Amino acid sequence: MSTQRLQQLKGHFLSEHKVTSMAGPVSPLSTHVLNIALGVPGSNVSLSLYRQDTPSEVWSLITTGITNADGRCPGLITKEMFTSGVYKLRFETQQYWESIGEASFYPYVEIVFTISDPGQKYHIPLLMSRFSYSTYRGS
Amino acid sequence: MTTIFILQFLTNYFINAKKLIKYSPLTTHVLNIAEGAPATRMALSLHRLDHNTKIWNMLTVGTTNTDGRCPGLISRAGFTPGTYKLRFETGQYWDSLGQTAFYPYVEVVFTFKEPDQRFHIPLLLSRFSYSTYRGS
Repeated sequence: MSTQRLQQLKGHFLSEHKVTSMAGPVSPLSTHVLNIALGVPGSNVSLSLYRQDTPSEVWSLITTGITNADGRCPGLITKEMFTSGVYKLRFETQQYWESIGEASFYPYVEIVFTISDPGQKYHIPLLMSRFSYSTYRGS
Repeated sequence: MTTIFILQFLTNYFINAKKLIKYSPLTTHVLNIAEGAPATRMALSLHRLDHNTKIWNMLTVGTTNTDGRCPGLISRAGFTPGTYKLRFETGQYWDSLGQTAFYPYVEVVFTFKEPDQRFHIPLLLSRFSYSTYRGS
């Protein structure tokens, strides 16, 4: 096998982006964590997605993940699992601030939202500093 | 004479109670930024986390006034270091205005270690966004 061909094969196996894109369709729910104090993505932030059961109102864990270098966490949920209901995204923000040697006012941030039309795409960013945060429904 | 004395006593009592309320070390301010107006008549509650049982204990229930504020959340003595949660019934609020919203409620959880602190925790809100910060 030629060196060039071997290099090509190596590229297939080692490419991180390819693995993600081959994992299937894009999640209908996405997030983006931004450290607005430093003007950088919030990377390595642990997060978890829950759905609230009816009628028990108990929270069921759907996914746990950690944000990548761009502050994103692909593959939060599949289209099949994304039914109407009340969801919660929990971000371990204090852990994040502690990992960069800082204290924070909020031990964690939970954003509870209602999905009435699961056919749409929902983007839920979290813009945060040590003493503030904001979120909105984006696209 | 006695009636006047009693009335005076009751009036003074309520005025002093209002003073206590005025000086809550924890205050909030809810603003409807879509309308550029205070969010009035929003129900909210303050809870403290029991670190041993991990259970939230409700301390106060209130409703925002015409200025979007809710005086009297907690007393100086009651506001000991710990983990607290302010829960805003935002879904109910938008409902009462005949509108839908993305968030059924908003909970802001915060923590502090040093005693004798004061915090102002506003909530800026629209149907599809909110933000909060630690103010003064």
